[in-house]
Amino acid sequence: MNRVALLVGGFVVLPLLIFLGISLSFDPHEIKSPLKGQPAPTFALVDLYGRTVSLEELRGQPVVINFWATWCQPCMVEHPVLLEGSRRYRGKAHFVGVIYQDSPQAIQRFLAQSGSWGPSLVDPGGEVAIAYGVYGAPETFFVDSKGVVVEKVTGAIQPATLVDLLENLLDS
Amino acid sequence: MRLSAIGCSLLVAGWVLYPAPVRSGVVQEAQEAPAEAELGIDRDRLLGAPQGSPLAGEELDEVTNELTSRMRCPVCQALSIADSPSVSAMAMKQEVRELLATGYTTDQIVAYFERSYGEFIRLEPKAEGFNLVVWLAPLCLVLVGGALVAWRLRRGRDPEITTETAAADPELEAYRERVRQEVTS
Repeated sequence: MNRVALLVGGFVVLPLLIFLGISLSFDPHEIKSPLKGQPAPTFALVDLYGRTVSLEELRGQPVVINFWATWCQPCMVEHPVLLEGSRRYRGKAHFVGVIYQDSPQAIQRFLAQSGSWGPSLVDPGGEVAIAYGVYGAPETFFVDSKGVVVEKVTGAIQPATLVDLLENLLDS
Repeated sequence: MRLSAIGCSLLVAGWVLYPAPVRSGVVQEAQEAPAEAELGIDRDRLLGAPQGSPLAGEELDEVTNELTSRMRCPVCQALSIADSPSVSAMAMKQEVRELLATGYTTDQIVAYFERSYGEFIRLEPKAEGFNLVVWLAPLCLVLVGGALVAWRLRRGRDPEITTETAAADPELEAYRERVRQEVTS
């Protein structure tokens, strides 16, 4: 076998194999948020009843911001989790929903049947979703009492995850 | 006398106390009606003040298209925001357009989207740090490959080598001679 060809082939193929090996250790579904550790983008939005909710005014307690929609199946799965979470942590943390690419009427119909865990805010043009770097629904952001994003959860949130994150926020 | 003393005391007390609320700013706050929170995101805090001139008309369209063609759609990740049909892409394109119309520069807008989505929002990675591998590796491979090809071709034209091969393998040279004769005849 031609030694030069072997050498050059190894020089090209070996780094590719190394990169492949490293990349296999990453979860392709994990989308890390660059907002983690950064101040949460402040916003003021109107809920389904015309009341303005401002993130600034909620400072002082942890805030759970959930981007969701009625067409989103995992959002339906996590709805009871957020319902229970909002009841358990009432008075200790705020739960705020931001409507993601859905109509307020559809949201209202769903909440009338399934119950509400917090204000559902209308986000015209998806401006707030863009500010939070939302890739899709559901995405849940955990903001501490000082207004810093401490975690982002992509997909339907599990009860244990919700409790762990909120307990950590309340302890700190 | 007593009333005068009381009056003086009140005057002095008022004089001392009056500047205090003004110094602390409480009076000022009470005089200004609390502003209703502006709806949407707090652009001033997230982007700062616009550093360019507001765009309009054709120029706005051109710059919007150019900028959005450099930004990745978070849903259809192989496409730019300009090309992607997704609702998210259209919302982002509209956001870019509004920011340009307000006077934000392309650098400010890209920095804002990077803050939200990370460097992944760029279709082309920045040419710095580890990213330089992406930019330089293909060029290096082309240069190395080209050099190898040139070296092999040059080796093939060297008469000494041809002669040595022929000398080393007379049967091969005889076969080649027969082929030459058949081709030329």
